[in-house]
Amino acid sequence: MKFHWFAQQYYSKLPPEYGDTVDSSWVTPPASYADPRQVGEDYHTYIRLMQQADGLGWDSLLLNEHHQTSLAMTPSPNLIASILAATTENAAIALCGNSLALYNPPIRVAEEIAMLDALSGGRIIAGIVFGTPMDSAFSYGVPPVELRERFHEARELITRAWKAEEPFAFNGKYTKLRYVNPWPRPIQDEIPVWIPGSGSVETWDVVNALDYCYGYLSFSGKQSAEPIVKGFWEHTRATGGNMNPNRMAFTQVICCADTDEEAERQYSDAVKYFYRQNPTAIWQATPPGYTSQASIRENLTRAKTISAEERLKAQRGELSFWEYDELGYIIAGTPERVEQRVRELVTDLRIGQLITCMHVGDLAEDVTAKNNHLFGTQVIPKLRDVWADEEDRWTPKVSQERVAARFGPHATV
Amino acid sequence: MTTLEIPNIGTFDVELWEEGSGAPLLYLHGYERHPGGAGFLKRLAADHRVLAPEQPGYGNSTGFEHFTDVHDVALFYRELVESWGLESVDVVGHSLGGMFAAELAAIAPRLVRRLVLVNAYGLWLDDEPSLDPFGPADQVKAAKWHAGPPDVEPTNFVPDPDDPHAPILFSARNLGSATKFMWPIAERGLRRRLPLVDAPTLVVHGTSDGLLPVSYAEEFVRLIPDARLHRIEAAGHYPMVEQEDEFVSAVSTFLAG
Repeated sequence: MKFHWFAQQYYSKLPPEYGDTVDSSWVTPPASYADPRQVGEDYHTYIRLMQQADGLGWDSLLLNEHHQTSLAMTPSPNLIASILAATTENAAIALCGNSLALYNPPIRVAEEIAMLDALSGGRIIAGIVFGTPMDSAFSYGVPPVELRERFHEARELITRAWKAEEPFAFNGKYTKLRYVNPWPRPIQDEIPVWIPGSGSVETWDVVNALDYCYGYLSFSGKQSAEPIVKGFWEHTRATGGNMNPNRMAFTQVICCADTDEEAERQYSDAVKYFYRQNPTAIWQATPPGYTSQASIRENLTRAKTISAEERLKAQRGELSFWEYDELGYIIAGTPERVEQRVRELVTDLRIGQLITCMHVGDLAEDVTAKNNHLFGTQVIPKLRDVWADEEDRWTPKVSQERVAARFGPHATV
Repeated sequence: MTTLEIPNIGTFDVELWEEGSGAPLLYLHGYERHPGGAGFLKRLAADHRVLAPEQPGYGNSTGFEHFTDVHDVALFYRELVESWGLESVDVVGHSLGGMFAAELAAIAPRLVRRLVLVNAYGLWLDDEPSLDPFGPADQVKAAKWHAGPPDVEPTNFVPDPDDPHAPILFSARNLGSATKFMWPIAERGLRRRLPLVDAPTLVVHGTSDGLLPVSYAEEFVRLIPDARLHRIEAAGHYPMVEQEDEFVSAVSTFLAG
């Protein structure tokens, strides 16, 4: 299996009452809460931590795109990716991803990913996303009912542009280009494509038809994700799709320490900051037209494995540290305990690409660096046997080879 | 249900509420839903043949995927009216239906005899930004009504005892379709076409509408060559519901003129 280093690039100095006073941490919170100088320091922190992870055996450094929010100040993941492409050696760089429907023309995304692939020596994973409603519908103004069609049109343009040997004309509904001929082309003949989703059946069908990697990227952990991840695999099996576990990416918050008590002491406040400083207004999360009729029905009827009360308490930072762990929001404790819990998670949910969220909220850099060190040296090596006999076409060959060369043969297939 | 086939474009199966006889009146409903056989429609049907189609993409009406923009909607209504063998109709459009009605009047001037726009969308005023109709539900609900929401808002929704999720799906489908024309701002260039409207026009506006201030109605009147304003006091986005008598009287008088 593979490990992808990730941090939700939170603003780290939110006042304690922020989560209770803003209507939503998305779209409309006053930007004056964030001092741009502090944001700059936070960026440097995240970059240092990812550079460290590159030297510890992670298979990729993963970046996401969000807009107008205190919880991920990464409106352009490609900007941070370009720094990593030039300053790291081994790990892939996973863009997870570019919100295709937001770019006009979307050929810009094809160009930037090709630039990054060239700059990194062929280490790019091209995640492509619909974007949350807060990103795509509210911050960027795309009519929700058009989002999927715009996304897929852009996807067709971009994937064709990467491979076309001659300039071509593209007469789409939303994008019209007489001469499509981006320079440079990517190094990789087949850039791995991931499409994270939130459980829509339509997305599953697209991902399976194209044999892409699916991703379920929540911060709610195993217990609440189980019906969706298992639903994906049941659907994939039923429709004859590829059951390779490396086609599933999943996010997990990791809190590793020398002892379990130490983990609670070091991470508890940051975990609660992470969850409670992120109120999302319901009207922003569920605009009409964003979710298809079939998927609304699926969501309404899907089994709930976590009670509404537990979910609410989790979002308010009112669970105890070990309750967060028990429900799967976090996996915490000694490297031995973390290894065992991760093994259960990835074998039970058939996950080949684990996105380890190593930093949460306002966690101090030194604690995160220790988290990286413990997980990288004492957990990752022990979990390399998981799914080791499964082919992985969803991470770049170059990063597979380099990670294996430096961190041992079990590091790749 | 009525079916319209537009060659090389597609099929539209459209729910149609029809009642009355006399001069034909096309009623285009607002962004939330078709009102069903609401009181004001029945009263207009006393001396008109009221034809109230449900917009494709709403309720059971299909064909939404054939629309790329608001012009397709206007041309769809042109075809629909012509398919009924009518040479001209009076058109009453409410809310989002007002945007479509005005587009139709601009694009098919000989088809639209008289035009009534009721708390119509389609314009934007920088100096007076209107409330986001897709904002917080309680805020939008409060903004729509002068005297608070009625017990039952007019609707053509038919509950299904076997499907507890039907109301959620009905609302999501309707409003999702509305986003095509109203998201993020309910303005698709109508300002440039209103000066081409030939039909005598009555702009009706519930003055307490928290979604669309009365200045929007005044702007319609300013831009349409032959238009007059009828303000309805003590009414919000649904003056035909909150002040049914005055609404029916104003519209009937105008259409009879």
